[in-house]
Amino acid sequence: MSDLVKLKVDTEACIAGGQCEMIEPDTFLVDDDTAIASVIGTGSLPVDRAAEVIDRCPAQAISIVNSDSE
Amino acid sequence: MATATTAPNITDPSLYLEGIPHERFAEMRNTPGIVWHPYNDGGFWAVTRHADTKTVSKNTATFSSAVGHTNLWDLEADALEARRSLIDTDSPDHTRLRRLIARAFTPKNIRRWEDTVREITVDVLEEFMEKGSGDFVAEVAAPIPIRVILTMLGVPVKDAGYLVELSNYLVEGTGETQSLPADAFGNTTELRLLPFNSPASHALFEYGEALGEQRRNEPQDDLVTTLVQAEAEDGDRLSGSEYRNLFHLLIFAGNETTRTALSHGAMALADHPDQWARVLADPELIDSATEEVLRWSTPVLHMRRTTTEETELAGTKIGAGEKVVMWYASANRDESEFENPFKFDVGREHNPHFSFGGGGAHLCLGAFLARLEIIVLLQEMAKRGLSLNRTGEPVRAPSNFVHGVLSVDMEVAK
Ligand code: HEM
Repeated sequence: MSDLVKLKVDTEACIAGGQCEMIEPDTFLVDDDTAIASVIGTGSLPVDRAAEVIDRCPAQAISIVNSDSE
Repeated sequence: MATATTAPNITDPSLYLEGIPHERFAEMRNTPGIVWHPYNDGGFWAVTRHADTKTVSKNTATFSSAVGHTNLWDLEADALEARRSLIDTDSPDHTRLRRLIARAFTPKNIRRWEDTVREITVDVLEEFMEKGSGDFVAEVAAPIPIRVILTMLGVPVKDAGYLVELSNYLVEGTGETQSLPADAFGNTTELRLLPFNSPASHALFEYGEALGEQRRNEPQDDLVTTLVQAEAEDGDRLSGSEYRNLFHLLIFAGNETTRTALSHGAMALADHPDQWARVLADPELIDSATEEVLRWSTPVLHMRRTTTEETELAGTKIGAGEKVVMWYASANRDESEFENPFKFDVGREHNPHFSFGGGGAHLCLGAFLARLEIIVLLQEMAKRGLSLNRTGEPVRAPSNFVHGVLSVDMEVAK
């Protein structure tokens, strides 16, 4: 099993492209009113899937939560 | 510097009458570095690989959409300004504008229109089935997207015919000839200041403004109301010019492109009966089939950026202020990203196509709407066990920008 990493969305950068929700519907939700994505559920994904969703975000708004700082 | 002087000129519109010059693109993908391509008095850097396209698309600070133009040719500064819409902005303007309207296009809010899309699709499809044969573009692929976007915007049914007419003139504007006189529709604006240099744009602006005014006074559950009411927390709103250009962009961008995807999709399914048989046997494949239709059709062949500083791409030095053109049509056939890229495979698992852009901030705003329209058409065809045969060669648009099909005869398979 690959390691899980926790993800976060930069709400200033998000443009509601909806890619995260499309690829990982259990981890991301675009709010219908604010049109900003946020992390739902455990907010964690295996490293490879985290890398994919980070790469697919058009606004470069998704990143890994650094466990040392939080 | 690799130069392409004797090879086919990929900007020659007439080349596309025979289809996308895939062989030339494959050569360019296999040429180390980035190929310089002549165009008019200058030229551009032709980005043809998937990975390089992504780099350019994501790095909006170096590869600007706001400088010059996002089409191959430059616009004069005043024309660029008058015609500027979301698509020709960089952040922070881009982020600001996009966030003002993004709400209406989130996956869930688009799903609210599913019944509307289905009603229109069933209507159009059943009429085609009754006739048994005809031009698939005119009878099915063209009416669906325009009727969907006009309904969503809130254009009253009685005006739909007029707006369809206007949008057809715009499509004409992407080709070589225009049939309208400069003063058509009472236009007095210099044509170079209008999108597509078309007087029909003036008429669309006027119509959009009148409808916006009406919705400001009497809000409805439609997109125009969303646009005129769009307001950020800090009170920021769309300016008059932003609203008008956006109304125009939604009608054009939501129309020609989806028409192209539906036309090429129907052709691909007719030409690959084994693939359509897979979908009929397992309708769960409709989602991946939709992505494959999008990759296969690549309705927008390229978009341009302009460098704001000196940079390096795939080992090639690129100066400041130079044109860089991302050929989505080539990235979507890149053998280092897609397995068997020239195979039409409705079950393709790894399919990060760039039909909605190369992965950066200008990712198509209407992507989930376009997907919905393709999904619903495939669902309704599958539900009826409808297979299509192609009975003629497609007439392709002479355009290096849109992968247009002007007409293609199809019949309902018995
Ligand atoms: C299959 C159908 C469609 C295709 C292939 C398509 C393709 C594209 C592409 C390639 C871009 C990116 C431009 C760039 O890289 O600079 C784009 C942007 C855009 N599209 Fe679409 N499009 C489609 C349908 C739609 C629909 C249905 C709408 C609206 C209702 C729409 C509205 C827009 C808008 C507003 C933008 C500008 C986004 C921005 O700059 O942030 N498109 N589209």
